[in-house]
Amino acid sequence: MKYELVAGFETHVELQTNTKIFCSCTTKFGGDPNTHCCPVCIGLPGTLPKLNERVVEYAIMAGLATNCEIAEIAKMDRKNYCYPDLPKAYQISQYDKPLCEHGYIQLSNGRRIRILRIHIEEDAGKLIHNHGDTYVDYNRGGVPLIEIVTEPDFRSIDEAKEYVEKLQQIMRYIGVSDCRMQEGSMRCDVNISVRPEGSDKLGTRTEIKNMNSITNIAKAMEYEFERQTELIESGGEVVQETLRYDDATGTTSSMRSKEDAHDYRYFREPDLVTIAVPRDRVKEIQARLPELPEQKFARYTEEYGIPEKDAAQLTKYRSISEYFDKASEGLKSPKTASNFIIGQIFRRLVTEADKESFDIKTTAEQLNELCKLLESGKLKNNLAKTALDKMLDSGKPVTDFVSESDMAGLDDATLTEYCQNAIAAMPAAVADYKSGKEKALMAVLGNVMKQSRGRADAASVTAKLKELIG
Amino acid sequence: MVTREDIENIALLSKLFVDEKDLDSLTEEMQKIVAFADTINNVEVSTGEFDNINNLSNVFRADEVGESLPVEEILKNAPEQAEDHFLVRKRA
Ligand SMILES: [Zn+2]
Repeated sequence: MKYELVAGFETHVELQTNTKIFCSCTTKFGGDPNTHCCPVCIGLPGTLPKLNERVVEYAIMAGLATNCEIAEIAKMDRKNYCYPDLPKAYQISQYDKPLCEHGYIQLSNGRRIRILRIHIEEDAGKLIHNHGDTYVDYNRGGVPLIEIVTEPDFRSIDEAKEYVEKLQQIMRYIGVSDCRMQEGSMRCDVNISVRPEGSDKLGTRTEIKNMNSITNIAKAMEYEFERQTELIESGGEVVQETLRYDDATGTTSSMRSKEDAHDYRYFREPDLVTIAVPRDRVKEIQARLPELPEQKFARYTEEYGIPEKDAAQLTKYRSISEYFDKASEGLKSPKTASNFIIGQIFRRLVTEADKESFDIKTTAEQLNELCKLLESGKLKNNLAKTALDKMLDSGKPVTDFVSESDMAGLDDATLTEYCQNAIAAMPAAVADYKSGKEKALMAVLGNVMKQSRGRADAASVTAKLKELIG
Repeated sequence: MVTREDIENIALLSKLFVDEKDLDSLTEEMQKIVAFADTINNVEVSTGEFDNINNLSNVFRADEVGESLPVEEILKNAPEQAEDHFLVRKRA
């Protein structure tokens, strides 16, 4: 029998606010242990949490960017569990009134991954285990998170990979998180079950916790799919449990759960009042949202006629697409700018990190100037390419490398002179042309172009040659 | 209805030790507390959702960094500490 994978994601994304969710301690990554802490975020009795306004705003932005409905009324709840990473023995989260609900992310195969909800909550502290003892650093405790929960809509590992990449891309575009999985600012839990292909019943699921790279997510899902399928095939039953993926062995293993029972005894957080989101507030945030990668992709391919493969590269990071948008402003064909970026500029940006930071010496305005000279015919293609390399090396504008005479084109006298030189230098080609071989003229044309160092215009050279040869 | 098992489970979740001999009396007490909550639940409330007594919403803080405490202050009440961390010893 063939089995089908069914998976859902819970993704924690750390928000890039300046301060923690309920106190004014910094959210900076790193720092000496327990130096970004105060009585609120280490849970001392008698302290009161106060909600960071930007956390609400960022969560609404994330919701709008993933097609969610924004709640008119939301509230905070306590999720109770005893573990050393949580000084209050409860996490302030959202239970039944999350900020965002019912969104989706569109995949390239046409399927939609439905988003059940996005809620805000506080991160827990960091635990370092050492010979059975636990060292606790609360710098991360209270850092704001959004948790993005999907429906069990994934049917393949490729879909899961694309979803995570898209989510990262969207959150980075709107600037709410850097989504660095290796630094833990984005973490994924995946629920997995299998079922016979064609069935519409959900099988028993397991949950793989806290994965911190797309590669590991793919490997863990692969392993878990195989494990569950083999188990069922051999007559066994999948046990609902929480698993950890071990990168070293490539296997999953059962995690001792934080609680013996999954009983978080949620209740209303009495120290925080209701969050009300008036509709005009939603509209105002929506209006400030930057153009999303998907919208940019559509504009580049449909309006500009840029090939999909190139458009995908241009939209991968906001830095690149913004550069391209500026560099292509007012061009007859934005593809001119796109070709320079994907060709000559990308050749200098080797790693993904290089591409993301897009730290190059030539400004978008400078590239725009170069493209305009090229489009107007003042600068020929090969001269433009040489100039761009020099521009990228130095950060200087195109006018520093291309002289007035390069751009002026050729006056008629010079053009005639070059053509006469070429005719004299290539009698055989000229004779061939005269005997009816049209193509022979190309060689003569090449000679003229060489003399002009690329400044001559092919059409006028051809006309002049024909006139002279008669 | 609160049962002995409920009390045992709550004690477990709260990491509290409850003596076997106290279970019956605790069950009875908890039953009374829950019954009191029921009394409140049964009060007729006329208009829509009741939220809080001052009808407050949207009490926010601007996202501006303030002072954190020095690590010595943070660790002052820690039962045990090591290398600027709170220390939780391995359970025997
Ligand atoms: Zn704090």
